[in-house]
Amino acid sequence: MEATFLMNNLWIIVCTILVLLMQGGFILLEAGSTRMKNAGHIAGKTVFTVGIVSLVFWAVGYGLIYGEGNAIIGLSNFFYGDATTMGEGLAGSVDFLFQLAFAAIAMTIAFGGFAERAKLVAYVVFAILFSVLIYPVIAHWIWGGGWLAEHGKQDFAGSTVVHLTGAMAALAATMILKPRIGKYNKDGSSNEIAGHNQVFTALGVLLLWVGWFGFNAGSTFGVADAFFGYVALNTQLAAGAGAVGAMLMVWAVTGKADVPTTLNGALAGLVAITASCAFVEPWAAVVIGLVGGAFVFFSMRFFDKKRIDDPIFALSVHGTVGVWGTLSNGIFATPELATVGRPGLLYGGGFEQLGVQILGVVSCGLYAFIVSYLILKVMDKVMGGLRVTEEEEIMGLDLSEHGGYGYPENLTPPDAASGRKHG
Amino acid sequence: MFKAYEELKNWREETIDSVADDHFQLNSFHDQLIYQTVRLAEEKVERELGPPPAPFAFFLMGSAGRFEQSVWSDQDHGILFDGPLNDQDYFLRLGEEIRDGLDVVGYQKCEGNVMASNPLWCQPVETFQTQILEWLNTASWQALRNFTIFFDSRVLIGDAFDLSSIKKHVFSNLDNHPELYSRMIENVNFIKKGIGVFGQLLPEYKGDKRGSLNLKQTVYFPYINAVRMLALKKQIQEPSTNRRFEKLLVHYPSLKPYQQDFLRLLEMRLSLRKHAVSYDQVHLITVDQLTKEEKQELKYLIKQGHKLFSKAKSIFKEEGLI
Repeated sequence: MEATFLMNNLWIIVCTILVLLMQGGFILLEAGSTRMKNAGHIAGKTVFTVGIVSLVFWAVGYGLIYGEGNAIIGLSNFFYGDATTMGEGLAGSVDFLFQLAFAAIAMTIAFGGFAERAKLVAYVVFAILFSVLIYPVIAHWIWGGGWLAEHGKQDFAGSTVVHLTGAMAALAATMILKPRIGKYNKDGSSNEIAGHNQVFTALGVLLLWVGWFGFNAGSTFGVADAFFGYVALNTQLAAGAGAVGAMLMVWAVTGKADVPTTLNGALAGLVAITASCAFVEPWAAVVIGLVGGAFVFFSMRFFDKKRIDDPIFALSVHGTVGVWGTLSNGIFATPELATVGRPGLLYGGGFEQLGVQILGVVSCGLYAFIVSYLILKVMDKVMGGLRVTEEEEIMGLDLSEHGGYGYPENLTPPDAASGRKHG
Repeated sequence: MFKAYEELKNWREETIDSVADDHFQLNSFHDQLIYQTVRLAEEKVERELGPPPAPFAFFLMGSAGRFEQSVWSDQDHGILFDGPLNDQDYFLRLGEEIRDGLDVVGYQKCEGNVMASNPLWCQPVETFQTQILEWLNTASWQALRNFTIFFDSRVLIGDAFDLSSIKKHVFSNLDNHPELYSRMIENVNFIKKGIGVFGQLLPEYKGDKRGSLNLKQTVYFPYINAVRMLALKKQIQEPSTNRRFEKLLVHYPSLKPYQQDFLRLLEMRLSLRKHAVSYDQVHLITVDQLTKEEKQELKYLIKQGHKLFSKAKSIFKEEGLI
């Protein structure tokens, strides 16, 4: 068997593992950014929703994205089990796993909007519906040969497909769920509900950062010309610039180098470069990261002012910056690197590519938001509310949904009777 | 004459609005209120325990010591007595009575416990003097904080001689140990940032004080800290920043504009905060509610405070003291 074939597959399975490990990053990031009483829940739900997504992706997700179909959806390859594609490119199973890991990331991002107040059963149901009706549709449009792919939409590793889609579902969720108890005062002013462990959050960010090399550099789908190195270089530069940009911005505006904002800046740099990591020059990666970092700070303030409670800043990091990342292609993509679509504004491509990018953002963003909103509204009606009761929210979801605290020594159940759900 | 603390409280409530526009009238009124409260406390303790066993002086510190109270203020005071340590119990009881009385009248208890009810601030002259010099020479962070609090003191009731004599000892100690100046400057060197890189005011952006600027820490402290340092150097006993300025001008005429700025600051503080309903709020300004002119004025005063603080440091440097 040809060495290149084996190396390609080896590289992509390594990247798959890296992307799966990003879930560990999310566990630490989300648990650290929320309160102690919900920590076990946040960690546990991440693992079991990855389980749900894996099964759904195997059953229908992959087929809806990459199956034979039309410009809107794929319609074959369900219950994936193809062991025959062993000639060139990637083995089917390797490709499948790599794609599955991406779908799971989009799901986890979406669940950011559920944090600290949604019922466990809402996670289960939405995990299934999102993985059937939302993520595969958009992934098909851009990556599966759908109508946006035909337009030359540039989204190398998934600023739109993964991050914007997840963030739009998170937005719908957070709007329907309403803010956490104690987040806003009667006069409209907001309170800070600080996360319980900044060290966890920072470690989470670093784990995501490392995993992102699988996400972006793995999206080369092979080792040809060692181009993955170039993609990794842009990724690293943008992440660094994002952290610096966010910290300088929050420092300049508020006078304090806020740690959560700085951490979100690093993530913003990563999200921003995700779409363009293979299409732009390193200096542009720095600019894209810096701007992403600065944007994330203003976006966090914007949502807070609009009374949209986003506990782990999914809307800003993945949504606002996901949009910026996608559009940045239309500005910075170079003629040599733009293997899909056209060069950007600064390289004589005019507004054409920017227009395609805008079309992609608007159509995908709208689709993800509207369908998520409808699904969640229906679930809200059918399930008698997506949100836990006030009492359960106050005691913490660790206890109300799972029966025990993630930090049992540090927290005391309110009393034995209310310690059990429906008790 | 007033018979109960509640009467004084009522007097405060009836009168304070009429004096709240004028810094000097307001502080004279505070002095009278505190004076009457202490007198009531003395009478009460005298009825309980008999007459004081020794002559004593009741002195004010903090903003009251500096004659710089705002509408609301917390308590900072002490008692010096000219008698043996055995008499301390009596004066501590008096200190407690004063503390509780002032609390009723509207002066919140001091969180740092700088009150005559605390044995640290209620001592015979000799032991107090030893302690002050020890604080100065230990030069640990907390010891120097205590020393700084002490230095802004003035006697409200009783003979001022002993307090003045302690301050003289302090001056001669500093003459012999000029290296203490650099430690003292380090002790107050942190200034809460008030203006950002874009020239904007920097209010708190998190927590329950979000959107507000702490006038005391951000604007006022640089002035009083700079002037106190120079007052120590020039052996000025006066606690009032304004009076310190006046005496310092003889040596450093270039400080004149800063004195004007400081008076503007006192005035602005009153105009912004006279309707505050509690001590907790009195130092906080909601930045969004300021007019454009007020913001400009505040920024100017913050900048001048920083300049004054730097200037004080450069004076110490020029004279080879730090």
